[in-house]
Amino acid sequence: MTLYHFGNCVALIYVPYYLTYKYSGLSEYGAFWKCIQAGMIYMFTQLCKMLVLATFFPDNDADIGSDLLGEFLKATVDIADLVGLYFVLSGIPGKGHSKVLTAGIGWATAEVILSRALLLWVGARGAEFDWKYIQKCLESNIFLIQHISSATLIWLWSRHDLKTNLKPIVTALLIFTAYKGLMLDILLKVLMTGPWMMLVIKALVTLATGGFTLTIYAGLAQAIGIF
Amino acid sequence: MWLEHTEEFFKGFLPYYVLIFLPIFIIISPANPVAASHEFPVYRMQHFDLHGVSHGCRSASINLEARSLMGWTTSRHCVVTKLKDLTVDHFMEIRNKAGALLVVLPNNLSKLSKEDKHHLVLLENAMMMEDIKIPVYFCKETKELNNIVKEVGTNNAADDKKISAAEAMLASVSANGYQIVVSPKTPSAKTDVKVATIQGNLVGHSADGKIPTIAIVAHYDSFGVAPDLAFGADSNGSGVAMLLELVRLFSVLYSDPKTHGKFNIVFLLTGAGKLNYQGSKKWLEDQLDSLDGSIIQEASYVMCLDSTASSSSLYMHVSKPPKEGSAASIFFNKLKLASDSFVEASVEGVHKKINLADDLLAWEHERFSIRRLPSFTLSSLKSHKDFKRSTILDVRDNLSLDTLVQNTQIVADALANHIYNLTGGAVFGNSLKVERNAVEAWLDYLSSQSRSAQMLSNKDNVLVSQLKDTFGRYLRDVKITYAIPDKRDPEFVFYDVTQGTMNVYSVKPAFFDLILTMGIVAYLVTIYFAIQKFPVFYTIACSITKNKKQN
Repeated sequence: MTLYHFGNCVALIYVPYYLTYKYSGLSEYGAFWKCIQAGMIYMFTQLCKMLVLATFFPDNDADIGSDLLGEFLKATVDIADLVGLYFVLSGIPGKGHSKVLTAGIGWATAEVILSRALLLWVGARGAEFDWKYIQKCLESNIFLIQHISSATLIWLWSRHDLKTNLKPIVTALLIFTAYKGLMLDILLKVLMTGPWMMLVIKALVTLATGGFTLTIYAGLAQAIGIF
Repeated sequence: MWLEHTEEFFKGFLPYYVLIFLPIFIIISPANPVAASHEFPVYRMQHFDLHGVSHGCRSASINLEARSLMGWTTSRHCVVTKLKDLTVDHFMEIRNKAGALLVVLPNNLSKLSKEDKHHLVLLENAMMMEDIKIPVYFCKETKELNNIVKEVGTNNAADDKKISAAEAMLASVSANGYQIVVSPKTPSAKTDVKVATIQGNLVGHSADGKIPTIAIVAHYDSFGVAPDLAFGADSNGSGVAMLLELVRLFSVLYSDPKTHGKFNIVFLLTGAGKLNYQGSKKWLEDQLDSLDGSIIQEASYVMCLDSTASSSSLYMHVSKPPKEGSAASIFFNKLKLASDSFVEASVEGVHKKINLADDLLAWEHERFSIRRLPSFTLSSLKSHKDFKRSTILDVRDNLSLDTLVQNTQIVADALANHIYNLTGGAVFGNSLKVERNAVEAWLDYLSSQSRSAQMLSNKDNVLVSQLKDTFGRYLRDVKITYAIPDKRDPEFVFYDVTQGTMNVYSVKPAFFDLILTMGIVAYLVTIYFAIQKFPVFYTIACSITKNKKQN
């Protein structure tokens, strides 16, 4: 498996990020530093989350299902992610498209580097082959879409000129984003599917959320005249 | 302003930095950072030299692909098989052509069927016939290992000539390969080998001064195809347990002046008995060749105990039939008499001449017979060729304690009848009798550890000092003599690395990696086009909202 496999995994995980960055026009805006800033805020947010988790949820490693309330409260801490993203968005000047994309990509890239790089370096390079590294890489690609769509949702939510009938939908989608991980875990626990099926379900759910977000965003963007 | 500089910096220099640092990272990070997902303890086959002839497997390290018994082709394959599938013919072929052999033993050796047991001892014997160049390991079956064996067994498709190339390709991609890695150090001859022989006496008492001697001998080591799996409950745990019980009984009798016997009794626990009785050989040389003489020279007989629990009939093996009226013949009669009180028990004499052309002596008494001492071996096995004497099947669960206790009772009675010149009947009855618990405790203790000669030959071995302490409690003049092989021309050489840890990595062929790369490239191209065409999605989204507005 060795280094070649590691190369495969790295290509699978980081090339989509690069492509998104490159072809979304961000590179022309010179948004590189902004992306790094977003990454810094990501790190800070994760640190705060960890502090909270370590303080209030000591050694809660039980299986999902045995302590639903605890899991729910833990997932609630993930709302901090949304707050962090909000700060990122507010720190970036500019129009809708680039603002949302910069925040989303910066955030997702920071996550992918911090949480996946070491895992791949240690895991995928060993003699042992395991599909889970490929799965992790694909999952990271899903996260990219998810983070961009949640950045968009937050941006929409913070707009005052959003139609009042859309506001509850956006809020619901935001809350769904925060608890999506937990819900999917429970769903998979019930369905007892393998990791590949789990990946497909995650991708479908994320794509659906993304589609909704895009539609709402397109409506607002047309209304206020950004293209 | 400086933001642009940073970007320029990264744009201009990042690739060069990567070129320098990535190789450095790769070099400094450990070669194999991930631990294998499967680790198993494995036991290496016997590896020793005796009389300059090498026995067992000569190498230890494996780093090969696992293949099944049917699927292996070259010396780059490690054959992984369950014991019951491996035949002697298979083994002969593997020995000559394969890279390594891993035999998965059933978890509970005592629950095997009779055929399986027979198969195992035959195989063991065939394996020990000649020395083997390839590493041979044994391991106990576990659930994970069973899965691996099963999967390896189904993965022969790639080498099957009948199926089409495309099918073979598909099979090689979908198959899970396993890499077996055992990396112990190179086996080297052990240098500080000391084979201990423990001696203790009970001194007799007689008015006329001349006191004859009886020697009771048992070797305490065991033998099996893998040193760490040789527990030797019957051979010769039972002999040692019987001897220790005799020690206990007669030391009680000898401590009372009223029952003080007219014979000296020498108890001897010899080492390396499975390696042509090296311990007793050395001890005899010391005794007979020393200038001041030894009590063994006046021995009435030497009684060796070997594998005394496998059946309720006892066989008295002699190299020369004892003369009528000699001590050994009297003892034989007493033994017959003593066995009469038990229903199933029987005593039989077996005569086999010493074959000096043979490399190995048949029974331990032949060591003494060669030196012209009247001697015999008591065993419940009829033939010295019985494979039961050297098998890993010889574990405690395969042994009947009742038989051992009964045989001990017979031997103790016969011995007491002989020593006190009684006419027969049970001597050990109510207050002093063969204690089932004592025998059981010893048997359990002895068969709880593997007692191969190479494991017991180190300095200050626990088992040896335990036996010595026990002798010290009951006997006088307790001594340990060591048989140390000659430096230049050793009679026997032991090698280390008797066990190790096996890592099993699940691997994919290089071809699979290429396929995977192609898949990834295809996926990335799709992503690329999806991003390129994103404006289309956006337009669609726009049109949807427009429609909504119009509605």
